[in-house]
Amino acid sequence: MSTTLAEKPARVKTRRSSAHDPFPEMRKEAGWRKRDRAWGYVFIGPQVIGMVLFVLIPFAASLVLAFAEWDGLTDLTWVGFKNFTDQLADPLLHKSIINTLLLALITVPIGLGLAVVIAVALEKLKTRTLYLILFFAPVVTSTVAVAMIWQQMFRSDGIFSATIAKIFGITPPDWLGDPKLALIAVAIVSIWSSLGLNVIIFLAGLQNISPSIIEAARIDGAGWWSLFTKIRLPLLSPIIFFSTIVAFISSMQTFDTVFILTQNAGPDNATRTIVYHIYDLGFGRFQFGPSSAAAVILLVMTLVITAIQFGAQKKFVHYEDDAA
Amino acid sequence: MSACSGGSGTSAGPAADGSSSIVFSTWGTPEELTRFTEFNTDFMKRHPEIKVKLQPVASYGEYHSKLLAQLTSKTAPDVFYVGDDKLGQFVGSKRLMPLDDLMASDASKTKKDDFFAGTFGAAQQDGITYAAPNDVNNDAFWYDKKVLEEAGITEDPATLASEGKWTTAKFLEMNDKIAAKGLIGSMFWNYWATHYGWISTQGGTAYDESGAFVGNKDPKTLAAVETLGKYFQDKTFVDADSLPSGAGADSKFVTHKAGFFAQGRYTIGTLKGAKVQEGYDIVDWPTPDGKAAPTGIAASYLAINSDTKNKDAAFTYWTEFLSAEGQKFRLTGGGNAVPSIKGADDVVLEDNYPKHAQTFLDMRDIGFANYAAEGAVPALSTDISDLFLELYQGKNNAQGTLDKVAALIASKSGK
Repeated sequence: MSTTLAEKPARVKTRRSSAHDPFPEMRKEAGWRKRDRAWGYVFIGPQVIGMVLFVLIPFAASLVLAFAEWDGLTDLTWVGFKNFTDQLADPLLHKSIINTLLLALITVPIGLGLAVVIAVALEKLKTRTLYLILFFAPVVTSTVAVAMIWQQMFRSDGIFSATIAKIFGITPPDWLGDPKLALIAVAIVSIWSSLGLNVIIFLAGLQNISPSIIEAARIDGAGWWSLFTKIRLPLLSPIIFFSTIVAFISSMQTFDTVFILTQNAGPDNATRTIVYHIYDLGFGRFQFGPSSAAAVILLVMTLVITAIQFGAQKKFVHYEDDAA
Repeated sequence: MSACSGGSGTSAGPAADGSSSIVFSTWGTPEELTRFTEFNTDFMKRHPEIKVKLQPVASYGEYHSKLLAQLTSKTAPDVFYVGDDKLGQFVGSKRLMPLDDLMASDASKTKKDDFFAGTFGAAQQDGITYAAPNDVNNDAFWYDKKVLEEAGITEDPATLASEGKWTTAKFLEMNDKIAAKGLIGSMFWNYWATHYGWISTQGGTAYDESGAFVGNKDPKTLAAVETLGKYFQDKTFVDADSLPSGAGADSKFVTHKAGFFAQGRYTIGTLKGAKVQEGYDIVDWPTPDGKAAPTGIAASYLAINSDTKNKDAAFTYWTEFLSAEGQKFRLTGGGNAVPSIKGADDVVLEDNYPKHAQTFLDMRDIGFANYAAEGAVPALSTDISDLFLELYQGKNNAQGTLDKVAALIASKSGK
């Protein structure tokens, strides 16, 4: 308090001494702040406009359309909850939900588990940059290109099928033609294409663990395995939790791989996911009402699953502060 | 004809010097799009006052959603293709220009009577014509002579047909023999022309003359669908849509894994591309008594945007595209379709391939386009195909399938 009072006259004096403006520095600072704010608006402007145009308005339109019948050309007719009741009774939606959940249950644990293993293996490797580039390549490659390449690999005479057949001494599996295998084929491609991103995230997480905690554990006699299971993995759990949420949501939205890899959602709709179902109803059959209702159902499902994950994280996620 | 009809299509209206610019949109393979470009070049030579811009979409699956968005936002092309499964919906929306007066005018090279009547289908509503078929593709039964021979079949289907002996019993007997060799008897795409073609050739009636679905009450239809279901369920018949892309039906057919394949004239390209055309021929669909009966004719249609600002130029292009000369230009050499108009049949018979190419023309002459009652309701044909798929997979029986089809049609079209 006394310091402030002591400084005040000096600052006032300085300001009074400069021309007619009593507070030039404050004004200058305020000017900068205004300009900064203006630039801030300029920079976030496109993002906000994009968000409004391509997310909020379509979201609102979708909510409205879910209660209507509309084919895109003729007049819109209100039907109340009919689209929801029809969709909830539609075997195709049931199949889509089952496929989507199955896909998530296959790809999320296997994909993240593999990524943790690879990240741990690469952590101490001097040549890890090379491996990271290799693992990351599918992430920056167009999904369409990835799906088309795998489409060829999954052919009975393709390299993937032929290799599997040779290793196990079996007839090459008909990955994309067999309803029991088609979803697994989609899962393989999904895991492969997202692996690199998860590896990078986990590697960064592992490298951020405080060396002092590791050192303390080592002094206490912890071996590699107990260090991994008792210290590093728990401390990596916030990142695993984040990745699980992202991977689950991403898996719930699987579309492009299915669309390209298994045209028409595979044999007997074996790879029909909810987003493919929404696309097929809307843009394949011009049934925008049921399509929007299915989209709302997907939104609710995603929210519920995410809420469950957030609830579960209290038991499984540990933060470094807790450890300290 | 009025030169300006208001609205705001993609193209601007005619210029002061009388020249016009129109946009034509379609889907197609690179080869087909090349042929359209050649047609446009030729057209513009003959009509230097009209500039045509081709707006292609590679995939049929994405074409109509784009067209829908364009029509809704008033940016649709002046002249455009519409598939037969979507046509009824576009007609019902009043976004297509009524064509009867234009077709009857002196400027027309395509009078309504020039087209084969059975090919209009959902293009006509309440006596008004809103589009006309570009060309057609009726599914003949292509057969692989090598596979038939391998199955111990000594009779030639086309020869049997010419003798009036191409019966359902003979066809099924051949399929049984092929299946016994571990090969596919017949492959079909699962769509309206397949199941209604089979019902029709087996003497059944799907829709009555009033346009009401009666298939579930007709004993002959029930018997036909029972046979169809049985052969799909024991995998003698295969749904070509279920085969994996990259190793699909075309691949199976050219590698001698299937005896019959119900497909259009475009199969010529597949067989020639694989250099195996010599061992293949076509036959029409078998009937209980061996007498030819109507089958489904798949078609695409050409329509004019009702909002076009270049009505004259758009109609000139439309009528020349569909005229006998236009169809000859587009279909010669390519071999991918059958003319929908009188006077262009030579293109089908031009190089005597397949040997019984005349069958395509005979089938077209008596065939039928998708039922208007079905084509007018969005996705109804697709939903019905889903029900037939349940039958093919053994998840339902013939009566159950037909009852579900009848209920679906009643709920969606009120018939």
